[in-house]
Amino acid sequence: MAMGLPRLVATAFTLTLVSIFLPLPFSLAGEITSIESVPDLQRLMYVAVDGYPCVRLLNLSGEIGCSNPGLSKVVAPIIKLKDVKDLVQPHTVLVTPDEMEDFFTRHVPLVSNDLSFASKIGGVLIESGSSFQQKLKGLSPDNMFPQAEFSPYGNVEYKWNPTASSIMWKAYNFPVYLLSESGMSAVHEFLSKKERKHKTYTSDVAEFSMVMETTKAGTHNSEACLQEGTCLPLGGYSVWSSLPPINVSSSNNRKPIVLTVASMDSASFFRDKSFGADSPISGLVALLGAVDALSRVEGFSNLKKQLVFLVLTGETWGYLGSRRFLHELDLHSDAVAGLSDTLIETVLEIGSVGKGLSGGINTFFAHKTRVSSATNKTLDALKVAQDSFASKNIKILSADKTNPGIPPSSLMAFMKKNPQTSAVVLEDFDTKFANKFYHSHLDDLSNVNSSSVVAAASVVARTLYILASDNKDTSSSALGSIQVNASFVEELLACLLSCEPGLSCNLVKDYISPTNTCPGNYAGVMSGEPSSNPYLGSVSDVSRFLWNFLAEKTSVQKGNTTSVCSKGSCSRTDQVCIKAESNKEGTCVVSTTRYVPAYSTRLKYADGAWTILPQNTSDSMGMVDPVWTESNWNTIGLQVYTVQHSAYDNAVLVARITVTTLAYFGIMVAKSFITKALKQD
Amino acid sequence: MTVAAGIGYALLALGPSLSLFVSVISRKPFLILTLLSSTLVWLVSLIVLSGLWRPFLPLKANVWWPYALLVLSSVCFQESLRFLFWKLYMRLEDVLDSFADRISRPRLFLTDKLQIALAGGLGHGVAHAVFFCLSLLTPAFGPATFYVDRCSKVPFFLVSAIIALAFVTIHTFSMVIAFEGYAKGNKVDQVIVPVIHLSAGMLTLVNFASEGCVIGVPLLYLVASLTLLHCGKMVWQRLIESRNQSGPTLR
Repeated sequence: MAMGLPRLVATAFTLTLVSIFLPLPFSLAGEITSIESVPDLQRLMYVAVDGYPCVRLLNLSGEIGCSNPGLSKVVAPIIKLKDVKDLVQPHTVLVTPDEMEDFFTRHVPLVSNDLSFASKIGGVLIESGSSFQQKLKGLSPDNMFPQAEFSPYGNVEYKWNPTASSIMWKAYNFPVYLLSESGMSAVHEFLSKKERKHKTYTSDVAEFSMVMETTKAGTHNSEACLQEGTCLPLGGYSVWSSLPPINVSSSNNRKPIVLTVASMDSASFFRDKSFGADSPISGLVALLGAVDALSRVEGFSNLKKQLVFLVLTGETWGYLGSRRFLHELDLHSDAVAGLSDTLIETVLEIGSVGKGLSGGINTFFAHKTRVSSATNKTLDALKVAQDSFASKNIKILSADKTNPGIPPSSLMAFMKKNPQTSAVVLEDFDTKFANKFYHSHLDDLSNVNSSSVVAAASVVARTLYILASDNKDTSSSALGSIQVNASFVEELLACLLSCEPGLSCNLVKDYISPTNTCPGNYAGVMSGEPSSNPYLGSVSDVSRFLWNFLAEKTSVQKGNTTSVCSKGSCSRTDQVCIKAESNKEGTCVVSTTRYVPAYSTRLKYADGAWTILPQNTSDSMGMVDPVWTESNWNTIGLQVYTVQHSAYDNAVLVARITVTTLAYFGIMVAKSFITKALKQD
Repeated sequence: MTVAAGIGYALLALGPSLSLFVSVISRKPFLILTLLSSTLVWLVSLIVLSGLWRPFLPLKANVWWPYALLVLSSVCFQESLRFLFWKLYMRLEDVLDSFADRISRPRLFLTDKLQIALAGGLGHGVAHAVFFCLSLLTPAFGPATFYVDRCSKVPFFLVSAIIALAFVTIHTFSMVIAFEGYAKGNKVDQVIVPVIHLSAGMLTLVNFASEGCVIGVPLLYLVASLTLLHCGKMVWQRLIESRNQSGPTLR
């Protein structure tokens, strides 16, 4: 025994020395993410991925869009599309932007007839960004003739949108997620770690939480889901404003109205990534630029005609804005007090105007609804305005006579309501869309040219002045003084079409306190009761910005007295309270600016619930209205993590139980040994 | 990694301790008390150490010598606490022995004293396992698993459970060695315990290197088995001694 001790001591000392010096030669290179608490560990284990989902939308006959197939989360291992071969269980397919159109048009339709691929798709992740190839080819998930059922002419086979794939109008029984930049890097980092680990025992999975309430409740069309309360109808608030303000109380001496229309809503396959830069936001920005230019012109009250600016929403989903506006005109409701159907002499719509620049010249095409004196006046005014520019870099051309009619635009709804409408829509294309990304998530700021928008705004501003003064011999000096502020237009484009600065830009924050930074130009749902004086919490950021902006620009200052208002009410009836959000205390200005609810004419809100009205033959557009609704949901999210195969886990458990029982027996043996040794005396 | 894996890891770290508890400690209430108090002492030592080191945190993660200092200071502190714990135990032993004399019951046997030391060591070991392994185990009951870059062959939870098991063994049996060493004045035994503790602590620093756990963990188990062997030898020696001692008196 005595010999053993020194040996033991020696061994122990050697170990200590070794252990102190052993770490020295090892370099501590490489990144360490230090984990300082259990929540830190959980965050590293379950990586939350940022992105944009595709959600479930319903109409009268069925559903479109994407959702989890059942009531629970979808957990499926991630695999790249090019590695897909003979899958056994459902997988999450990672698709590059190039492969996206192909995947949905060719692979997924096999879903219904080829069961082998169908049940193998657990979920889909689309990478963000677009390749050069895509930029050349274009990708539009909409139809060849968007909203053809509302066309006032017979040729519904005409291909206005040649790059169409129609994928956004189909129903998918699995979740689809567009990864953002940060989400994509998180997923790629996660997948690259796999190379260093045991591939056989683990798999990287994506967990989708995209359970839609309509799937849970089993309501698969608008009527059923509105009854159950598992969905809400699409809609929003359109804004109109008149320059100069209309005296509502005196109903006589009303001037004829020149109505300028633009729309503020777009859509795409992914609910929250639809900037709609060229279609239709470029038109909206041109309208706002024109309003800004015209607000600096004196003497509007002396002109012969009244200018009214109308920005519609919900146009993508069955022309909800224009149909409801025209309906309210029929009802002579409060929302349109001061306007009347008979007073509207001519309508000018500003459509997509962001891609008119080519070879230094901005070319726009005027599509007219029909030949009439009013449309001829508009076309002449456009020509005079075009010629008034010294730089001569704007050209307005009439649309090709072989076109079947006006392109898809709000004017289609106006025409269907009243085929005698004299209207012109200004677009940057002639026979087919110049926008290769119509209603795609790729129709962003890089898809429009700001100088094209500035040119459109300038020509529209001057055209409106000419129309309002009803005098073709307007002096060039008067016209020359109407200048659009190009930096204002550029700033506004950055506010409405990007996430930085997005809606937190100074221009927008001057008028409202935005709830989101990223502008989501999707129309959204109608929450609460529709009214002309809505609760501002249910009105979208862009609508509120437009209301405040137009109210300020079209206001007249009666002397220098500006009174403050809080709680949004002013003493005089012809005044409105603007900028009440950001400054807490707004200013009262004399202006006629109103919200008009935009929702389907087939819907009625009563007692806290929506009901669908029966078909009415007098409402021809209501007869073909799909009545779009959006499903409610609890949470939408995506996370990725590594999962051990269950065989491994069970083996671990078995091994541990073995170790514990072995230890127990070992201790029993030792105990009996000791007892025996003690009892030996 | 699901409930099965979570329970598995918990059992790995604490299974043998559970067996020891059930077969030895739970038979005598006094041992349970000893276990609980030594757990408390160990936790208090951790609190004091964390208070001392708070101004220096967070330590830079890519240099190893601050961690070496941390281990060194912690081991020194805990070993001195072990000595104090033994002193307290001696006082308690005197009280118990005099009480036994008064009520004419036998005094503490050698096996009793060994069992008390064992309970003390187990308390230390269990506290270590709970603190350094079980507290991190909650995420392991979920569906995901986790691999650390520097030890990429096995899941993180598995490695931490294996290391915790080694330390439980080391703490449990080194307390027995230490108590005997202090009682008998045996210098070797007294010195070997801090040495084992320190070397075990330093060996964990080897895990800092890339794939260092492949070397570090087996070496740690070497230390643990050394502790076990030395303790076994020592206990055997003492038993033979006491048998020889008590033998002549009975005859």
